[in-house]
Amino acid sequence: MEEQLTKSIESLEAELEELRHQLYEAQETIDAIRTGQIDAIVVNGSNGHELYTLKTADHSYRVFIEKMTEGVVSLNHEGIILYCNSQFASLLNMPISRVIGTPFQDFVPEENKRSIRRLFEESWSKDCKEEVTLHTCDLEIPVLLSLTALEFNENMALNIIVTDLTIQKRTQQQLETTNAQLAEMNHELELSNHDLQQFASVASHDLQEPLRKIQMFSNLLKNQNKEILSEESQRFLDKIMNSSKRMKTLILDVLSYSRLSANNNVFEPVNLNDITKELLDDFELIIQEKKAEIRVGDLPVIEANRGQIRQVFQNMVSNALKFSKPDLAPVIEISSTYLVEKFFDGLPQPDGPYCLIRIKDNGIGFDQKYQNHIFALFERLHSKDSYEGSGIGLSITKKIIEKHDGLVHVRSTSGEGAEFLLLLPVSQEKNKQHASAQEDLIGRR
Amino acid sequence: MHLRKKILLAEDDQDDQDFFHDFLHEREDIFLLPIASNGEELLDYLASTTELPDAIILDQNMPKLNGLQTLQLLKDTSRYSNITVMVYSTSTDDSLIKRSSLLGATLVVSKPSSYKGYQRMIDELIRHL
Repeated sequence: MEEQLTKSIESLEAELEELRHQLYEAQETIDAIRTGQIDAIVVNGSNGHELYTLKTADHSYRVFIEKMTEGVVSLNHEGIILYCNSQFASLLNMPISRVIGTPFQDFVPEENKRSIRRLFEESWSKDCKEEVTLHTCDLEIPVLLSLTALEFNENMALNIIVTDLTIQKRTQQQLETTNAQLAEMNHELELSNHDLQQFASVASHDLQEPLRKIQMFSNLLKNQNKEILSEESQRFLDKIMNSSKRMKTLILDVLSYSRLSANNNVFEPVNLNDITKELLDDFELIIQEKKAEIRVGDLPVIEANRGQIRQVFQNMVSNALKFSKPDLAPVIEISSTYLVEKFFDGLPQPDGPYCLIRIKDNGIGFDQKYQNHIFALFERLHSKDSYEGSGIGLSITKKIIEKHDGLVHVRSTSGEGAEFLLLLPVSQEKNKQHASAQEDLIGRR
Repeated sequence: MHLRKKILLAEDDQDDQDFFHDFLHEREDIFLLPIASNGEELLDYLASTTELPDAIILDQNMPKLNGLQTLQLLKDTSRYSNITVMVYSTSTDDSLIKRSSLLGATLVVSKPSSYKGYQRMIDELIRHL
């Protein structure tokens, strides 16, 4: 029993010694592998002798570096290329054999050689990155160099990853060109818009001068020569005066339409109840004359250009009064609902971001098929003899609503009145941002 | 009745000069000074007279010195800066109104197109004297 124990202690000690030896050998091997002294070991394994090399790992990295889309170059202290992957060679459009052994500086344009030398010097002590241009006989290649100094075959080597920036640069250049073109076009558009507005403004002014004279002298003629003029002459004179008046309306409407093109919107809180009250005062005479009834609901306060919104309501009320039925007292209803979204059939919501304003009349109406027609410039559904007007009023209305980022729609049946729907944002926050973004774009030119 | 208000007009258009004279010379509350046909003539006249007008009416579109240019010169000259100035033009837009009031015009109006219009324009001007 004791002998057995002794023996087992001895055998255990021997086993321990054997294991220690194996451990020592393993540590030696690991060191050798780590320091690159050996690149293969033979291990006596269960399947006989087996050869283990670092090839597995090393090979993967070699393949990885070869397959990289970036170029890889290693330089010695003198800047001679010790190694490069095929990607770098193909970047330069040269065989690898001609690249290896060549000074890197040979691929650097004359004017950049000094800065590259400085970059290399710096990179030996710390990692650097820099965009440079390389060249070969016929090629200029923009690249990004990422430089790291590493031990390479027991010597230090400067390892460089070379990223080809040709496509990036080209894209960037295209983007810049396109941007410049866009800015240029934008500028031209602004100019032409401005010209057009100037033209309309000047034309309207200059057209008004002779027109005013026609009105003045017709007036004088009519008042001072009443006795001399024949009845027919007086009738002709009346026609001249009526035409002049219509022309005056036209010119003023063209002028105010053209002014709307100017990008000069100033928004302020506008109480639509006040606007309507003012307008009813203005229309007092015709309201009395036509015995019109105007029912105004509670209207909201919205952010808007006061003058423009007033013009919209003026056009709406004036149209409703104008296109009334001859045998029926006009009833005009103006009401408003807040909506959740910019959609005529949107859901109502108290304090919603949009408001829908309805202007409903009991006038002659029109066929629904003309609903888009009536907003076009100079479009009229009735002869100017039966209903006066320039045919610009609703175009102005539409343009103003659109300038407020709103929508306009009309529902009507011939003979059964019309209902105009104005959908307007309560706040002009979006519009203001858009305007300031545009200014920004122009400002940056 | 107090003294007639002396009114000086600068206007290059012959017809408008005639309207102004014909429609207004019979009014007893005003006295029309000789009409100048542009801003330069108006300033020459003012420099040569000892009796300054109570009000000046400037047409905007005139050769040599237009309404606004003349207005600025008037307001920059201490001798004239207290004279009430009205700018009138065939079409008055926001920009003209804004610039005129910035330069110190008391009134900006559209040229009248009738006898009555002229009377009303002068009534309004006199209210501001």
